[in-house]
Amino acid sequence: MRSTVPGPEAIGGRLARRPIAPPGRALTWLWRPRGFAERRLAFLALIALPALLYVLLVAVWPIAQGVYYSFFDYNLLRPAARSFAGLDNYRAIWEDETNRRAVLNTLVFTAAAVGLELLFGLALALLLWPDGRFNRVATALMLVPITITPLAVGLLFRALLNADFGLIGYWARVAGISGPHGFLGDPASALGALVLIDAWEWTPLMALILLAGLKTLPQELIEAAEVDGATYLQRLRLVALPMMLPSIFLALVLRGMDAFRVFDIVFATTKGGPNDATTVLMIQAVKQGLEFFDIGAAAAIANLMIVAIAVMALVFTRLIRHADQKVAAG
Amino acid sequence: MRNWTRRRFGATALAAALLAGGPALAAGTQPYAGMTLNLASMNDPFATVLVKLAPEFQAATGITVKVDVLSYPELLTKVTADFIGNTKGYDLVTTDNVWSGQFAEAGHTVVLDDWIKRDSAELQLDDIYPVVMSSLGNYHGKQVAFPFAGYANVLATRKDLYAAAGLEAPATMEAMIADARKLTDKAKNVYGWVANGQKGPAVAQDWMQYNAQLGGSILGPDGKPAINTPANVASLVVYKKLFDETAPPGAVDYDWGGREESFRQGLVANMQTWSVGASAYDNPDQSKVAGKVAIVLAPPGEHAAKNYGVGGWGLGINADIDADHQAAAWEFIKWIASPAVQKKMAELGGGGVIRKSTTHDPDLLKKYPFMTVIDISFTNGNGEYRPRIPQYPQIQDILGSAVNAVLAGGADPQAALDEAQKKAMKLF
Repeated sequence: MRSTVPGPEAIGGRLARRPIAPPGRALTWLWRPRGFAERRLAFLALIALPALLYVLLVAVWPIAQGVYYSFFDYNLLRPAARSFAGLDNYRAIWEDETNRRAVLNTLVFTAAAVGLELLFGLALALLLWPDGRFNRVATALMLVPITITPLAVGLLFRALLNADFGLIGYWARVAGISGPHGFLGDPASALGALVLIDAWEWTPLMALILLAGLKTLPQELIEAAEVDGATYLQRLRLVALPMMLPSIFLALVLRGMDAFRVFDIVFATTKGGPNDATTVLMIQAVKQGLEFFDIGAAAAIANLMIVAIAVMALVFTRLIRHADQKVAAG
Repeated sequence: MRNWTRRRFGATALAAALLAGGPALAAGTQPYAGMTLNLASMNDPFATVLVKLAPEFQAATGITVKVDVLSYPELLTKVTADFIGNTKGYDLVTTDNVWSGQFAEAGHTVVLDDWIKRDSAELQLDDIYPVVMSSLGNYHGKQVAFPFAGYANVLATRKDLYAAAGLEAPATMEAMIADARKLTDKAKNVYGWVANGQKGPAVAQDWMQYNAQLGGSILGPDGKPAINTPANVASLVVYKKLFDETAPPGAVDYDWGGREESFRQGLVANMQTWSVGASAYDNPDQSKVAGKVAIVLAPPGEHAAKNYGVGGWGLGINADIDADHQAAAWEFIKWIASPAVQKKMAELGGGGVIRKSTTHDPDLLKKYPFMTVIDISFTNGNGEYRPRIPQYPQIQDILGSAVNAVLAGGADPQAALDEAQKKAMKLF
C-alpha cells in the first residue's frame, strides 16, 4: 500500500520552491546558501548558534585558555612577570613528590570508591528490584545522602570521626578499631576512611542507576530461565548481569568521572593529610590556583585531570556501545 | 484626615532629621553622603560587630557600608580576584597581617602614609600600640592597611586542674611543658596541652608560634629562608614530643576548630590561642569549662627573648577604586579605629584590640580581666615570627607539610626541615 505521507523529497521540492529567508543580510555577503541542502544547513546552524556560542564561551574558551596558560610561568600576584615555560609546569607535576602522591591517591581513591559503590549499589538494587510499597519507600529514603552537599558531608564525618570526642571516632579508638590518632589522623587509614565516606554518599546513586537497568530487563527471559531450572545466582550471573552491562558501565563512568575530581570531602576533613596520605590532584590544583595564584601550575594539573577524565569517558562510552550491541544482538 | 496625618508625620520626621543631622548636612560635613562602600570581611567575631556598627557610621557620615562576611580562603581568593581583575567589587578589605607583603608588592591596596601623616592628631597614633601598627599592615615602611583588630597570642589554662595538682600558671615554656606532662592523665581522658596538628596552614601557624617562643626563626638575618637551623629543629623535636606525650590522640588532625573544641570540651589543661576567643571560654552556652579558665601570658622559652606573638587584621583600601571612594573608605578606617568605636567594638565582642586606651578602660577591664595580658603582650609584642613577605603562602604550605609529616608520618625532624629549606629556597 502506498503511503499518503509525502516523502522528504516531496517536502524538499516544495520548500525548494519557497526559499527560506536568509539568516541575516549581513551574513549574505559571506555565504549565500544555494539550493535546499545549503539553506537547510544554514537554518540548522542558525538555530544551533546560541547553544554553540554558549558552549564555546563557557567550556571551549576556558579550556583553551587553560591549555595556553599551562605553558607559562604565570602568577596572578606578579602578572607582569609572565614568561614562557614550555613543559616546565607539566614536568613539575612528576618531579614533585607530593604531586606524584596526589596522582596515585586520586587513582586509588577513584578505583576503591567506585568499586565499593558498584558492589553495594548492585546489592541494594537487587534488594529493591521486586516492586512493592516497602521498596518504593526504601528507594526514596535511600536517596537522602545524595541530597546533602559534599562539603557538609565532609564536615559531618569530620565531627563524627574525631578521635577525642566524635560519636564514632572516640569509641572506635577506645575499642582499638582505629589507630591511636583516629581514622582520619592515621596515614594508614585516612584514605580508606574517605573512600567509605564517599561510598556512604554516592552508593545510592549507583543503586538507582542499576535499579533502573534492572527494571528494563525483559521479565520473560528471567522467567524462562527460572522455568528451565536456573538458580537465583545463575539467573543473575547468566541472564541479568550480561544484559545490565550498559547500565553498569554508565554508572561506572558517571561515578568514575566524579570521584576522580574529588575535593570537598578531602578539604573538609584532612586538607590532604596526614602527611600526604589523602592529597589528591584537585587539592593540589586548588592550592596552586587559589592559594598561590600560580595559574600555570594549576592549569597543568587541571589539564592532566581533563585528559584522564576524557580517556575514562572514551573507554566507557565504547564499552557501553559494545555492550548495547551485544544485548541487541541477543 | 489620613492625608493630613501622613503630611504631619512627614513634616515631623523631616524636622527631626534636620535636628539630628541637618546642621551637619547643611554645613557640608558629609561630603560622601549617599556613597556606598563594600567591605570584604573575614568571619572573625569582629565581622558581626562591623555589621552592627555600619548604621552608626551611616548616621554620622551618610556613607553606607555593606559588609560581606567571608571565610579565610574565600576572602583571599575573592579579594585577589577583585584586585587582579580590576573589578572594583570591594572598596575595603580586611587584611591579615601576613598578606601585607603580597598586597604591597602587587600594589593592590592604597599606601596610607600621607593620610596617616595628615590626620595623625585625629588618629591619636600614640594611643595605638607600635607593634600593632607595624605588624598589621606595614611592609618595608609603607602602611598598606590600617590596624583595627589586633590579637595577642595568650595561654589559656585550666585553673581547676592546676589548683588540683598544686601548680602555678607557667612562666616559661619549659615550665608549661613540665606542667603539661604532669597534668596528662590519659586514663581519665585529660591531656596537658593541645595545638593544631593538621596539615597545611593550621599546623604551620601554630608551630611557627612555638618556634618563635623557643628561640627559632623562619627567615635568616638576610631575609632568606633559614628553616633547618639547629634552633628550629630543636623546637620541632619539642613540638613532636608535646604531641606524643601530652596532646589528645586526635590532635594531629586538629585545625583551629578542633583545637578550640577540645579545650571547651574540657579535655585539655593548656592551649595557646589568639586573644580574640578568650571571652568565649567563660560562656556556659559555648563551653564546658566556664569559670575554670585563666588567660595568662604565653610563656617564652627560658633562654629566648621575652616577647609575645601578635597577629590580627588591618583594613586596606582597594587601589583600583576612584579617589572619592578611597577618601570615603579612609573616613571609615579613621572612624572604626577611633578610641570610642574601638571601645564599642570590644564591648560588643569584636575581640580585637589596637589601642592602649582600650586595654586600660575600667569598664572593659571589669568585663574582660585579660585585657592586662593583652596590654603586656602588645607592649612586648613580636609580629614578625610569621614573615610578611610575598612568598608567605608557599612557605606556610611547605612548613605545614613538613611539620605534619613529622607529627603524623613519623618523618625525622632534621630531614623534614632540610627538605622544607630546599623547597623554600626555590621561591627566592
